[in-house]
Amino acid sequence: MKVGGSYTLPLLRQRAHELLQDPAILARCMPGCEDLKKIGPDEYEMQMKVVVSAVQGLFAGKVRITDQKPPESFRLIVEGSGKVGFMKGDGLLTLVPATVTTGVSILGSEGTEVRYEGDVQVGGTLAGVGQRLLDSTAKMIIRKFFEKLAEAGAETEQAAIVP
Amino acid sequence: MIPQNFEYSAPTSLKEALALIAKGDAKVLAGGMSLIPLMKLRLAAPEHVVDLSRIADLKSVHEDGKGEFPGGALHLGALATHFEIESSALVRSKCPLLAEVASNIGDVQVRNVGTIGGSTAHADPAADYPAGLMALEAKVHLTTAKGERTLPIDQFIVDALSTALKPNELVREIIVPVETRGTGFSYQKLAQPASGFAVVGVAARVRKSAGKVTFVRVGVTGLAGKAFRATRVEKLLEGTSGSAADIQKAAAQAAEGVDANTDLHASADYRRQMTKVFTARALTQALSRAD
Ligand SMILES: Cc1cc2nc3c(=O)[nH]c(=O)nc-3n(C[C@H](O)[C@H](O)[C@H](O)COP(=O)(O)OP(=O)(O)OC[C@H]3O[C@@H](n4cnc5c(N)ncnc54)[C@H](O)[C@@H]3O)c2cc1C
Repeated sequence: MKVGGSYTLPLLRQRAHELLQDPAILARCMPGCEDLKKIGPDEYEMQMKVVVSAVQGLFAGKVRITDQKPPESFRLIVEGSGKVGFMKGDGLLTLVPATVTTGVSILGSEGTEVRYEGDVQVGGTLAGVGQRLLDSTAKMIIRKFFEKLAEAGAETEQAAIVP
Repeated sequence: MIPQNFEYSAPTSLKEALALIAKGDAKVLAGGMSLIPLMKLRLAAPEHVVDLSRIADLKSVHEDGKGEFPGGALHLGALATHFEIESSALVRSKCPLLAEVASNIGDVQVRNVGTIGGSTAHADPAADYPAGLMALEAKVHLTTAKGERTLPIDQFIVDALSTALKPNELVREIIVPVETRGTGFSYQKLAQPASGFAVVGVAARVRKSAGKVTFVRVGVTGLAGKAFRATRVEKLLEGTSGSAADIQKAAAQAAEGVDANTDLHASADYRRQMTKVFTARALTQALSRAD
């Protein structure tokens, strides 16, 4: 399944790029992330509890970052599995300076558009019965992630500026 | 398949049910049309299932002259089944769009057991009710052991399969306006052949006066992660004479700016195209019923 889209963060590109690689921030922003540990350079281990309506799945997996071109782009590779199924995702994230139109931060209207494009594979029971809902659920999780990231970003900016 | 072991309670009062779910890791069971299959597949494994079916309070369907809407409101208890809503004389005369939507859900077995509260709480992006509830600008009455709140449907449904419901909270009732006399309505859907779920579904309400369209509401389900009101279509049609050309022009905007879903059954482009077609059909029928 192809996924693609973009989200504009009220953060400068350098800052957006840093946040997207900060394990503490990622752990906080990934919906259901219960644990994220750095296990090597650009490699993390994670536990996720995905709760979508009545469905609950515990996933254990790995996140890898490759093709680093800070602050412009990087490739994100995610793999996870649990009792309800497995998922594999591979996506290219491109950061482009942009103008923020909503949720303008104290920094003004300079922001960053994060474009993502990739492929997600889902298997097991989850995919067998949930085909109809995979696309909308994947998009929902990605939207939630960026919303939380924008929030976390705004907070850290505030903390950096207001002593 | 056999679900994981779970504790089961069937309280007879709302108060008891709310106290049980306040303890955590409980799932409430309404019609079970969505929850039971998920439990059997072990995609859901709650430790405690709280069956609402014996709570008489949640079954009431009644009219209320004052309150939520200026012209009066219908209150539909969360446990009202799709069949009860489809066949209720009160709903058919006071809010016929909702009865029409209910009659389009799944098959007769599902309609006999599935509930409006369960469907709304589940927030399936392809469920039928949300299209109607958006067009009706319905409200959702929520309750916890500590208090109550009422949210517009647009704020209650947050995204695909996600709502503003807190874990200790129940949907108590859905509130819809008593329809103004002369309002035309229609629900048109392209059903997925296997389940009946909407590939796209469009609900419309319209009013006319002196040859002009004065009021338009359009709700769309199935196209995006959550159902939405097609406000561009509404604005374009309002003030026109409601001719076939006016309808086509307005309906052409139904999928504009929407991040459309893709699945095995329909690509995003096909869904967008079908949304325009079904919007035109819903508007045409609604206008023909308005007077
Ligand atoms: C074969 C089949 C075909 C179907 N076709 C369609 C269709 O064409 N269109 C359509 O719209 N739907 C369709 N459905 C879904 C059907 O409408 C279900 O009734 C609905 O999804 C869930 O309602 P329920 O009462 O069965 O809820 P349940 O399965 O009991 O519960 C669903 C979820 O909502 C929660 N919940 C239930 N009640 C409340 C409450 N009062 N407060 C808070 N949370 C609550 C539960 O905890 C659970 O997470 C179909 C279902 C089946 C099995």
